[in-house]
Amino acid sequence: MAAITARISSFFGRVPRWVYIVAVLAFAIAFPMLEYFGLMQTLWLRVGTRALVYVLLAVGLNLVLGETGLLHLGYVAFFAVGAYTTAILSSPRFDIQWNFWVIIAIAMGLAMLFGFLIGVPTLRLRGDYLAIVTLAFGEITRMTLNNWEGLTNGPGGIPGIYPPQIFGWTVDSPAEFFYLLLVTVVIVVWLLNNLKNSRIGRAWNALREDEIAAHHAGVGPTRAKMLAVVMSSGIAGLAGAIFAYYQQFINPTYFLFMQSVIVVSMVVIGGMGSIPGAILGAVVLDTTPEIIRQTFTSWLPAAIGPDFLPGVQAAMQTEFDRYRMAIFGLVIVLMVVFRPEGLLPNKLWRREMHEEDPRELEKTGQHLFDFEEGTQDLEV
Amino acid sequence: MAEVILEVRSATKNFGGLKAVNNLSFDLHKGEIVSLIGPNGSGKTTTFNLITGLYEPDSGDILMQGESIAGLKPGQIYARGISRTFQMLRLFSNMSVLENVLVGMHGRTKANVIDCMFRTPRMRREEEASIVRAREILAMFPGRFPLARHTQPAASLSYANRRRLEIARALAGEPRLLLLDEPVAGMNPAESMEVMRQIRDLRDAGYTILMIEHDMNVIMGASDRVIAMDHGIKIAEGAPVDVANDPAVVEAYLGRRGADTAS
Ligand SMILES: Nc1ncnc2c1ncn2[C@@H]1O[C@H](COP(=O)(O)OP(=O)(O)O)[C@@H](O)[C@H]1O
Ligand SMILES: [Mg+2]
Repeated sequence: MAAITARISSFFGRVPRWVYIVAVLAFAIAFPMLEYFGLMQTLWLRVGTRALVYVLLAVGLNLVLGETGLLHLGYVAFFAVGAYTTAILSSPRFDIQWNFWVIIAIAMGLAMLFGFLIGVPTLRLRGDYLAIVTLAFGEITRMTLNNWEGLTNGPGGIPGIYPPQIFGWTVDSPAEFFYLLLVTVVIVVWLLNNLKNSRIGRAWNALREDEIAAHHAGVGPTRAKMLAVVMSSGIAGLAGAIFAYYQQFINPTYFLFMQSVIVVSMVVIGGMGSIPGAILGAVVLDTTPEIIRQTFTSWLPAAIGPDFLPGVQAAMQTEFDRYRMAIFGLVIVLMVVFRPEGLLPNKLWRREMHEEDPRELEKTGQHLFDFEEGTQDLEV
Repeated sequence: MAEVILEVRSATKNFGGLKAVNNLSFDLHKGEIVSLIGPNGSGKTTTFNLITGLYEPDSGDILMQGESIAGLKPGQIYARGISRTFQMLRLFSNMSVLENVLVGMHGRTKANVIDCMFRTPRMRREEEASIVRAREILAMFPGRFPLARHTQPAASLSYANRRRLEIARALAGEPRLLLLDEPVAGMNPAESMEVMRQIRDLRDAGYTILMIEHDMNVIMGASDRVIAMDHGIKIAEGAPVDVANDPAVVEAYLGRRGADTAS
């Protein structure tokens, strides 16, 4: 079993990375066209669009959780800050429609400011304080949104958010939002990937691996962590701003603690500290419940007959949200048991390509693993 | 005598009632290898921690090239030209061998967030230079870090190579003073001799080295001077042979060994 898995992953490992990138991008670009040509229900386009919002959140949180190793439990609060920025500045609520770019800048700037304010007291201290304070901040944010009726209209939320105008392009259909988000994801991922492969990304990783050693190697822990927290807050703000435009209506129930937990799960399941992992984790966790629902309510009944488990069908239709969380829990338990390192763990591709390629080893006469004392090293 | 690079002046560090380092003073001169010896628990690692800023001395002062560094953070002390290795290895296990060395250059490189996000030409130039330098440093351990090993995780290295990698990471900071905490711990005699030669090469290349060591062959073979500690106090200082034969030193080791057997 292990041997088979190893061979499969070694095969996939030898495919150059750009092939994956091109394939994934090609699929993403073609995806809305499936709907346009009637090959796919609009439902799936909506699922895909929402998945892209989660992808933004997952790659953003990965910066803190995966790359820097800090537990952050209130990520949805920064998402909410971005979403309410859009809702307040581009809706009938105050009868204003500010420019898209200005709103994005304010959303990101505000989220980053909050990230900074939370970082100041917590990042100097040991790890767990950030988790506790972010958790509290998430709840405070939601309560503020619920109670500051003059600004947010409380639990009633803000309806009728105006669509964004980007260089004269009015973004107002699911397909257009899908493309807007896709471009955003590509830019954000490109920038984050550059950062990851730089002295700053290495400093984050070093802090995650061993903070004391990193500090002795000249990495200022507080500054580097602050940068990660502020940047990931900005990405959540950006995701929130676009999400509000897309959703056209938001209220505080979109920003429950559970959402933070879901994004954490996406990063963990994808593989902490791996950008492809975060992307895959977001897509898998966002689409799996929907796929299961469709399996029971439409695909299986269509294949087997409309009276296929009518009780399950009814339950899936009316009470799906409860099952959704159960499915999440199940996926997480399965992952922890069978693949704790995540779906696409950190650096898998690179290691596969460089170390496990037998030709490479032959060339250099090196073995995959360095041997312990008394065996290999003695002979050298 | 060459110029003084590091001065420890009456440094004291208490842990509760325990005086781990007690009124300790010594100088290091440019280009010498000094061994810090003493029984376990005599305060050697704590001395390192005081010099590198992990702890702040309760009293006394530490001067690097004439300027006080007591109370500075480890990152700031690194910037003054002091790098170290750890008794209990502290590598970045899930990062590659090369990345471990590159992290050692963090404080010597300048690319900012914007440079790194957009991979500006300035950043790429610096990055390339860093990688070239990191490979040079790894090549200072002949045969130990061939190219294929550079991309392997540090955790996959043998114990001896992990010790070497820690030295490489410390060298990446381009330090003037190198603190090595038990650099040959856990190595066999042949490997110990190899590391000893390397330490001498480093001195000849201009580094000043303070090392904590237990291995008598390494201490005798590599050090220009030896400082012996017991119970946080300096009990002897001088040429290796003199310190090794100093009655107080013999007493400290024998006395402690007796106590160890008893417990
Ligand atoms: N962080 C600490 N907290 C409490 N006691 C410590 C700490 N670090 C070291 N000590 C104590 O200080 C003494 C000196 O330790 P150390 O400097 O590690 O000795 P050495 O390196 O010479 O073996 C020991 O008794 C040790 O238990
Ligand atoms: Mg020690």
